[in-house]
Amino acid sequence: MSHVELAEKTARLVSSLIGEYMVKVEAVNWLMVKMARGEITVVQSWRKNMIGIYAAKDGKIGVLSFEAENVEDVVKRLPQLLAKLQPSPFYAPLPEPTGKPVSFRDKAVAEAAATGEVSEKLEELGISELGDAAGKIDFVHRETVLLGSNGAELGYESTSFNGYVRVFRGERSGQWSWTSTRYEPGLARRAMSKAVELAELSAKLPREKIEPGKYRVLLSPMIVGNLVDSIADAANAGMLIFGMSFLQGRKPGDQVFSPSLTIHDKPRDTSLPGFSGFDDEGVATRDKPIVEEGVFKGFLHNSKTAKLLGGETTGNAGWIMPRAFNLEVAPGDMKPGEMLEMLDNGLYLTNNWYTRFQNYLEGLFSTVSRDAAFIVRNGEPVACVERVRIADYMPRIFSSIEAVGSERWQIEWWEVRTPTRAPHMLMKDVNISLPS
Amino acid sequence: MSKPDPLLLSSLVEKALSQGASYAEARFHRVRTLQILMINGAILGAGESVSEGVALRVIVGGGLGFSATSSLRREALERAVQRAVASARSAAPYMRRPVEMGPGRVGRARYAVEPVKPFENMSLDVKVSDILEMYKGLELERNGFRVGNVTFNYIESVEEKIIVNSDGAHVESTVPRLMVFYNMAAASGERKANRWNQIGGSGGYELMEKLDIAGNMKDDVESLYINLVKAKEPPRGKIDVVLGPEVVGLAVHESAGHPSEADRILGREAAQAGMSFRTTYKDDVIGSEHVTVMDDPTIPGSYGFYLYDDEGVAAGPRVIYEKGRIVGMLHNRETAAVYGVESNAAARAKDYASEPIVRMANTYLVPGDYSFEELLEDVREGVYIKKYMEWNIDDVRWGQRYVGLEAYMIRNGELAEPVRDAALEVTTKEFYSSIDAVGKDLTFFAGTCGKGEPAQGVPVWFGGPHIRMRGVTLR
Repeated sequence: MSHVELAEKTARLVSSLIGEYMVKVEAVNWLMVKMARGEITVVQSWRKNMIGIYAAKDGKIGVLSFEAENVEDVVKRLPQLLAKLQPSPFYAPLPEPTGKPVSFRDKAVAEAAATGEVSEKLEELGISELGDAAGKIDFVHRETVLLGSNGAELGYESTSFNGYVRVFRGERSGQWSWTSTRYEPGLARRAMSKAVELAELSAKLPREKIEPGKYRVLLSPMIVGNLVDSIADAANAGMLIFGMSFLQGRKPGDQVFSPSLTIHDKPRDTSLPGFSGFDDEGVATRDKPIVEEGVFKGFLHNSKTAKLLGGETTGNAGWIMPRAFNLEVAPGDMKPGEMLEMLDNGLYLTNNWYTRFQNYLEGLFSTVSRDAAFIVRNGEPVACVERVRIADYMPRIFSSIEAVGSERWQIEWWEVRTPTRAPHMLMKDVNISLPS
Repeated sequence: MSKPDPLLLSSLVEKALSQGASYAEARFHRVRTLQILMINGAILGAGESVSEGVALRVIVGGGLGFSATSSLRREALERAVQRAVASARSAAPYMRRPVEMGPGRVGRARYAVEPVKPFENMSLDVKVSDILEMYKGLELERNGFRVGNVTFNYIESVEEKIIVNSDGAHVESTVPRLMVFYNMAAASGERKANRWNQIGGSGGYELMEKLDIAGNMKDDVESLYINLVKAKEPPRGKIDVVLGPEVVGLAVHESAGHPSEADRILGREAAQAGMSFRTTYKDDVIGSEHVTVMDDPTIPGSYGFYLYDDEGVAAGPRVIYEKGRIVGMLHNRETAAVYGVESNAAARAKDYASEPIVRMANTYLVPGDYSFEELLEDVREGVYIKKYMEWNIDDVRWGQRYVGLEAYMIRNGELAEPVRDAALEVTTKEFYSSIDAVGKDLTFFAGTCGKGEPAQGVPVWFGGPHIRMRGVTLR
């Protein structure tokens, strides 16, 4: 049964039981090559149908999700589930399905995902030349169908070629990532070269210790991508309602960050794998600013959060929580070499992980640097520093931007789950902490 | 819902062997969940999910291949075998050392956690009503302090597996679990704070009472009140610290359990969850004689419970640190082969779409013999950190940070005024070396531990007693 037939069958079953519903079926072919120590540790492949059902009755909301064959068994439980619930404060009637399909399918990616035949591509990417390296390479082909009682009959296709490598030179390492809807070996090789460059530079430099305190810090696109994900989370109306947003109390039009910061949600950008012409309620997506020149432009809504908070859907529906599709940080005018010159004296951090909030409402957080991290003096990296923490307030550090790079990178990895196009950023007075 | 015939899985293993595999494993894996989401005393909605399918893992020519399918039809399963074999063949030329499965006590067994109150016997009405009652029991407003958002997520699940492999394993299991997590957002004047908490165990609906979820929520409201209304700035610099079991449990998970995962030490997770200081650490001393850390999947009622791992190996307690010395690792059969030891059954997969990798189960610091009062009595000036919000650790599990949500000054052996956001930032060696006394209590906490690619969150417990640390740094 094709994914379209599966969606139609599921919608027929649901519609015989419930009047208001959406059915979403995603058929996914996915091949992942995972590397470590310069070897391929495992090649994984998946072929699966992921079925989601949203159902509402008398203002009560139920959601089913399943990866299983027997649709009837799962769907028949819906009426019983809804009968026992109470009307939801989240409920809003399904909106008009204004979305139109936008597809992008790269043949090379789709074929690799379907067949698992990637030996030639691995050669072309040059992974055997990286030396001691770890990472992963994804080939994903996704076909999505959305059917709803609001009249939605939508479907689209997308592909994703993304990955990341962590290159080791002795005890030092550099890590970088790429993402695209196309098979672009040049993009991947550029990211791999960046990881090699950082690892090799790091390996040449002595290690120095620093004291905790305030530093001028140059953040790589890997780190900017990670932190911008947190800003997009804070701009998610669902997170606001759940009490987990440092934008609580802020209104569209408030100057929250530095005028150098502009962030867009870009669902219509088919060069990044998160694109879609419609959201999970069938509403047309649109590219929109989340932050423009430091001004907060508004929360990301689905119809439910919009009704609850007073507003309009922004075409960012998940069925319960809104979501961003692709994120893009506007470039500045500083060329790559100029960023280090302007940093002059400070730290250049190239990767991070484990971002955690002490206080979601005030934006107090910390995150730990990993891989290459440089002490820069007179615009030159002169030493390495190991695993320091940024421990600060999110709104504060993004109010302290001194410069933004003109060159941007397309990032998607373990710590940047939303495909993001991001530049380098230079910030002042960033609080750096580390063990004694 | 029906399960596939184990003979079908065995036939897939045979098929993989006939296609050139030197090892083959087939795992049927089903996870059913019911989730109820409450916000501020109203039920936002409910959801059910079913994830079921078969995972195939094979070794061909020293390469490891994995494939998974949500279809249980023979044709689809046989195609999945072909894909796994083809994947392994593509990996093989890149292997300097062929992947092998080391020794392990693979079993033939069937086990199940028998709940006192099976989830299916409890109506949704009762579950909804109990959740709303817990919310009504909270004192959300007083003296200008107000908890404005309470989000509560109830998740019950039943995990069923059938594992067969070419080395003779045949293990069938059923483990029901209950997990809740909640977030509370509170304000007092200009100050705001959150408390996020997760509570869980294996068993049935009886865990709602047994784990005292209502009591935990009330206590967390109190923590927020103390943090926002009463707490002052903490001292900074070197000071004695007493840590509560919540922080101790997390710390042993992060800086004893994770760095002792053999795949991490070998670098297999280097680009994702990172490596381990143990890759290059030459000393076997990591802490004081008071430090012994265990991981035990077989603790009854635990959130990380299992009796056989996902390679069909029989599980038991494993010692990681003993009296301050590094003594053990967590192994699956792949890492056991590299180290020339026997697997200690640490292979776990989140679901049918996930490969089994080395994971913790229930990790804890072994209790000593001090009462809480005895831990305090020798502290002239110090800080007691009871609960945390923010934490993180670097990618080799050396530098770590825990920031107190509820914390108190200790003065002359007694608890004094509360302090806010005291940040303990230490290396692993400092952490374990500074411990000079360990309490006789033992409390466990639930977590969802993340690792792997695609990311696999698996249920774990972590725990410990109260401990006393001498001269550590607060930021």
